[in-house]
Amino acid sequence: MTTARPRDIVRLKIQLLRNSLRGQSWRIALFLLGLVIGLFVGFGVGLAVSLTGLDGADPATSRDIAYLVAVLLGTGTVLAWALFPMLFFGIDETIDPARFALLPVPRRVLLAGMLAAAFVGVPALTTFLATGGLAIAAGLRFGPLIALVSLVCVLVGLLVGVVASRALTSALAAMLRSRKMRDLAAVLIAVLASMAAPLQWGITALVDSGSMSRAMAISRVLAWTPLGAPYAIPFDLAEGRVGPAALRAVIIGVTLAGLLWWWSATLESAMIGTTAQGGAARAATPGGAVGALIPRSLRGLVRPSPYGAIFAREWRSWWRDARRRASLLSVLIASAVVPIVVLFTPFQPVVEGAPTPEPHRLIVGYGVTFAGTIGGMLLANQFAFDGSAHAAHLLAGVPGRTELRARAAALAALTVPLIAVITSAVLVASGGADWILAGLGLLATGFGAAIAAASLLSVLAAYPMPDVNNPFALNTGSGSAKGLLAAVAIVATIALSSPVTLVSMLLDGLTRGIVVLVVGVAYGVTAAWLGTLIAGDALDRRGPELLAAVTPRR
Amino acid sequence: MSSGETTAAAPSVEAPPVDGAQPALALRGLAKRFGLKVAVAGIHLDVPAGSFYGLLGPNGAGKTTSLSMAVGLLRPDAGAAYVLGQDVWADPVAAKRLLGVLPDGVRMFDRLTGRELLAYTGLLRGMPADEVDARARDLLDVLGLVEAGQTLVVDYSAGMRKKIGLACALLHAPRVLVLDEPFEAVDPVSAALIRDILQRYVHSGGTVIFSSHVMQVVERLCSHVAILAEGQIKAVGTLADVRGGRDLEEVFVEVVGGRTATGKELSWL
Repeated sequence: MTTARPRDIVRLKIQLLRNSLRGQSWRIALFLLGLVIGLFVGFGVGLAVSLTGLDGADPATSRDIAYLVAVLLGTGTVLAWALFPMLFFGIDETIDPARFALLPVPRRVLLAGMLAAAFVGVPALTTFLATGGLAIAAGLRFGPLIALVSLVCVLVGLLVGVVASRALTSALAAMLRSRKMRDLAAVLIAVLASMAAPLQWGITALVDSGSMSRAMAISRVLAWTPLGAPYAIPFDLAEGRVGPAALRAVIIGVTLAGLLWWWSATLESAMIGTTAQGGAARAATPGGAVGALIPRSLRGLVRPSPYGAIFAREWRSWWRDARRRASLLSVLIASAVVPIVVLFTPFQPVVEGAPTPEPHRLIVGYGVTFAGTIGGMLLANQFAFDGSAHAAHLLAGVPGRTELRARAAALAALTVPLIAVITSAVLVASGGADWILAGLGLLATGFGAAIAAASLLSVLAAYPMPDVNNPFALNTGSGSAKGLLAAVAIVATIALSSPVTLVSMLLDGLTRGIVVLVVGVAYGVTAAWLGTLIAGDALDRRGPELLAAVTPRR
Repeated sequence: MSSGETTAAAPSVEAPPVDGAQPALALRGLAKRFGLKVAVAGIHLDVPAGSFYGLLGPNGAGKTTSLSMAVGLLRPDAGAAYVLGQDVWADPVAAKRLLGVLPDGVRMFDRLTGRELLAYTGLLRGMPADEVDARARDLLDVLGLVEAGQTLVVDYSAGMRKKIGLACALLHAPRVLVLDEPFEAVDPVSAALIRDILQRYVHSGGTVIFSSHVMQVVERLCSHVAILAEGQIKAVGTLADVRGGRDLEEVFVEVVGGRTATGKELSWL
């Protein structure tokens, strides 16, 4: 018997990847499509990066832009590597340390193997291609020697990101034993992720509005953090500053050592895996079981019936299920962020002292419609939230329309008032107070049309979500393709809502407010009614098929 | 997923007789394949009304697949299923009203407490609220889940999940109970309780069919037995018929074709 080597773990990962593709041509096609898109985007970004700043007439500015791009893109990449696996792709469960718990694999070997395995795959390759553009840029600017340095630095940056992600997930696995903690973490990270968009927008706005100096200051600070340091070193060396370069290298080295130590220290507890703990009992509610399910506060909205039961359960699930709560919060944040970004982004260069230009009607109209749309799109894969639990509805023979309408009504009751308040606040803040009534109408239109699209999508293109306790685990592969379908549906929904959006642009003042409000609500309600009618009939026909589609495969 | 519409009955399939001796559950040529693997190869089965029916089989024999097709959770490739004469796939609403089901390996709406889940199931079935309240109280009490009634089902142990699942299946007082592995992961005390409840249910005129691979439970409870292996029924009849005076386990191993004794193979152990 020989001991395992890191090579074996890399081979295991490749084998697992191959097995997951075997015999399913659509999966292979999806994988290849992902690969091509990934490489294409990576290559495109890389090429764009390597060309930035080269055409600059002023050499100093051109150098600054190159520096800015290198450090910001680099920092973003490392940060994305550290956080994205948890957010969007889930921890790469193919090489789960818990699976090695019973095998006599030395920790050092496991560490090296998992690290090497993390570099095998599309994401690593794509990232390398994207940041590799920095090396080409360095070569074009400073010559081949610096290009080589830059290449090494790009690889080191990738290494920092990968090790950070491994250490974080491993440490979290130890921390997230209890369901409460896991739920909390999922929500926290979702909120952080939704904040990433405004942050990015802020930086873009800074650069756009000509505040180069401020952006430069930010990137100089970032260049002293382990996130940005690898990408600043080529500039240091090319411009003859050996000292700072060496100091940055030390920062990176210490960080890597620290992360590796942290990872190795937490790996053992991650290997033990999560153990189930009994949950605390909820406060006893007086009255019968039905009163517990449909409390007094909901009695005004629904009666005890199949519709009422589904409404009440959905109402609770949006808060009690961490995965749903995370999506709900993200959508609420997005419903604020999107109109803000749209309304405040100057489309003409800002002239100091001049009044802020009034936002364009087209932009207001579509911005607000979009806020409603993403709210309704929460239901695009609504049956997968509870996976095979849908069997209970099949066994009870719940009519499809009742089911879909109860789910839509619960979401509407929960989100529409909030989104309405948020959007109105954004409108007032951006000087568009006369848009509030019309805004509510547009919201209703977007939300109703989205309910229609999402209902159809959730019945016809459902895909499973993994049935595990890890809130970060999301499935890759089949899900992402159908997730793309949801993106297409958003565009389609906005197109569907266009008649009302157009009406809002042609009118003015109070007339606009009243007409758009009335027409918008009617349009939204009709769209939702029709959509759930058609999707409900499909659900009645395809119940068992839907159940199979949302049941995770083991 | 295949987009199969309601499966047309095969020519050899005939509906069960409509006279008094109507079986509680009748399977007619149910078949299902997943890709190239045949999971269930066309089974015929009559579960007499008032019987306590055990469906035995080794792991992977097709027990869950068969029962899922029988209750309307999985669309069969061919064949039909009747509950007291109602076609499960042609008239699902009528058939499902008569059925109580405890599926195996299926999630529940686990972000509800036990009590809320019972209320939910009752309301989905269209029962009046006061009746749901009364029955939920009874069931939680009998199954020893009163305390747990305030806890989210996601935090239940495997045994508690089986019990709350059984409570959901019993809530609307169905005529036929289909239980997939009801005794798995259940502690001996709860198992005795469940056995008692089921026996009383059968005595009062109900029909139970359940799957298991625990011979002792089947031998103790069942009036009828069917042994399923490789998607086919290998032996069927009353418990006495199938046993033929022998030990049920002996018959089972022989019918399924497992090895009963090890020779020198593991001499190093």
